[in-house]
Amino acid sequence: MIHRRPLVAVAFMAPALAMYLAIILYPLVQGLVLSVTDSKIGNAGNFVGAANYIAMAKDGDVMRALGVTVAYAVVVVIAQNAIGLGLAKALFMRPRVRQLGSTLILVPTLMSAVMAAFVWNSLLAPDGAVNSLLRSLGLNTLTHVWLGDPSTALWAIALVNIWMFSGYSAAIFLAGYMNLSTELLDASSVDGAAGWRKFVSVEWPLLAPATTVSVTLSLLGSLKVFELPLVMTNGGPAGSTTTLTMLIFQKIFGGQGSFAYGTTIAVLLLVVVVLFAGATQALLRRREERI
Amino acid sequence: MENTTITPAPTAPTTPTAFRAERRAGVRRVRRGPVSLAGDVILAIAVVLIFAPFAYMVLTSLRPPSDVINDPLGWPTSLTIDNITNAYSKMNYTQGLFSSTIVLGGSLILTIVVGSLAAYPLARITRSWTTGVYRIFIAGSTVPIFVLLAPLYLLLRDVGLLNSYAGIILAYTAINLPVAIFFYTSFFRQIPIELEEAAAIDGSGPVRTFFVVLFPLLRPVTATLATFLTLSVWNDLLIPLVFVQDPSLKTVMVNAYSLVGSYTLDPSLLFPAALLGVAPLLIVFAFLQRQIVSGLTMGAVKS
Repeated sequence: MIHRRPLVAVAFMAPALAMYLAIILYPLVQGLVLSVTDSKIGNAGNFVGAANYIAMAKDGDVMRALGVTVAYAVVVVIAQNAIGLGLAKALFMRPRVRQLGSTLILVPTLMSAVMAAFVWNSLLAPDGAVNSLLRSLGLNTLTHVWLGDPSTALWAIALVNIWMFSGYSAAIFLAGYMNLSTELLDASSVDGAAGWRKFVSVEWPLLAPATTVSVTLSLLGSLKVFELPLVMTNGGPAGSTTTLTMLIFQKIFGGQGSFAYGTTIAVLLLVVVVLFAGATQALLRRREERI
Repeated sequence: MENTTITPAPTAPTTPTAFRAERRAGVRRVRRGPVSLAGDVILAIAVVLIFAPFAYMVLTSLRPPSDVINDPLGWPTSLTIDNITNAYSKMNYTQGLFSSTIVLGGSLILTIVVGSLAAYPLARITRSWTTGVYRIFIAGSTVPIFVLLAPLYLLLRDVGLLNSYAGIILAYTAINLPVAIFFYTSFFRQIPIELEEAAAIDGSGPVRTFFVVLFPLLRPVTATLATFLTLSVWNDLLIPLVFVQDPSLKTVMVNAYSLVGSYTLDPSLLFPAALLGVAPLLIVFAFLQRQIVSGLTMGAVKS
C-alpha cells in the first residue's frame, strides 16, 4: 500500500521530479537569471540589473509585438469559440450527420501548423485559389495580396488559426452537449423556453466546463502562436505579424544571439500568459461552480 | 482516405433501442421544423468550408503542375503521383520519417512510464506535500517553452545533448509530464483502492502491484494520452528546429520547413509535402478516432 510507504512513494515520483527539475524548473530559474545579464550566445555575461527590462519597456518593437499578440489572441479566441459552439449545437441537433460532420471538421486540427501554413500560403498567394475563386465569382475588386499587405497579413494568419481549430472547439462543446441531461432540456422546453432564450438561459450556463476547456486552450495556443507567422510571413510585411514569440526567436537565434534580451521578452510573454490565463480561468471556474 | 474513418450516417431509428439511444443523446424530433432548414444549409456550408482546403490540397497534389497553373480551381482531368515523389525526395521523407518515429516513440514510452509512476502516489496520498508537488507539475503546462529556449539550449550544450535524439526526447518528455500526470492522476482516483488492498494481502509489494495489477488497467487512458502526445510531438517544429542541426537527425517538420523560401508558393510542391506530413496521422486517426476525440476533449465534461 503506497500511502503507508512514503519512501516508496518518493521513489515512484523520483524520475518525474528529476526530469521536471532539470528540464523545466532549473532552466526557468536560469532564464530569469539570464534576463538580468548581458549574455550573448555562448558567454555567461555580466550582471546588468534591470537594464534589459528598462530597454524592453522603451523598445517600440516589443510593444508592437505585444499589441499584435494580444489583438491576435482576442480575435482568434472569440471567433474560434463562437464558430465551434455554433457547429457543436448544429451537430448536436442533427444526430444523423453528427459523426460525419464532426469527423470532417476535425481534420484540420490534425495538421501541423507548418503543413497548414503550406496549404494556405499557396491558397492565399496572389495567383492562388482564393483570388481565383473570387475572380471566377466576378468579385475582382475583393482580390488581394493577402499576406503581402500589412493591413491584412495578421488577419489572414488568424483565419488559418481559426480554420485549424474551430473543429477542435466544436468537438469540446459537442462533448459538453452530449453530457447535458435530456430531462433538463426537455423540462425547459415544456416550460416554454425555446430557441435563443433556451440557449442563453439553459444550455450556455450548463456548458461552463466545456467553455473553460475550449477558451483556455485557444487562449494559450493563440498567445503562443509561432509556426504560422514563421512559415507564412516570417514576421512581415513590415513587422505586422511579428508576435512576441517571433520576436523572441529572432533575438535569440537570428544572428545577434541575444540570449539575455530574447529571454527577457520571453519573461514578458510568460507574464502575459499567466495574467490572461489566470483571469479567464478564475472567471470561467466561477461560472462552473454555479452549476 | 477520409472516407474510411466515417461511420455510415444512421437512417431513422427503426428499433426501440435506437430510438432510446437517440433520446438519451438529447434528440427531440419536435425540433425539426422549418427553422432547421436554414440551419441545415448553414451547417453544410460551414462543414464544406472547413473541409474544402484539405480536399483541395489532396486533389491538387494529384494534378500535373501545368494543369494547376492553367486552371487552379479545375477538377482533376489527368492524375499523377509525380508531385508526391518529387516532394518525397525534396523533403528527405525517408530520413525525416525515421527521425520523427524515433523521437515520437522515445518520448511516448518515457512520458507514459515516468508520468504514470509519479501519478500513482500523487493520486493515492492526500497530504499537503503531495498536493503541492501535483500543483507544481500542473503549473508547468502554462509555462511557454520560449522562456526555456535559451537556458535549455545552454544546458543541452553543456551536457553534450545538443544534436541528439536523447536531448529532444528528454525535452518532450519533461514538457509533456504535466498533461500525463493530469491524465493519470484523475484516472487512478477512479480505480477502487480495494484492488491494491487485496494485492497487499496476497503479499504483493507496491512495485509489483503497480506493474502487475494497476498498469494494465491504465490501457484506455494511456491510449487517449498517447494519441494526444502523438499529435503534439509529431506536429511540433520548434524543439527539433532549435536543438538539432545535424541533417541526419532532422524530423519531418524540420525538413518540410526547409522547403520554405526556395519554393514557397508552388502548390505542386507544397500540397504534396503537406499531404506527406499529415498522412501518418490520418492513418492513426482512421484506427483510433475515438481515442483522438476523447484525448482532445478531456476535461470538457464535469465528472
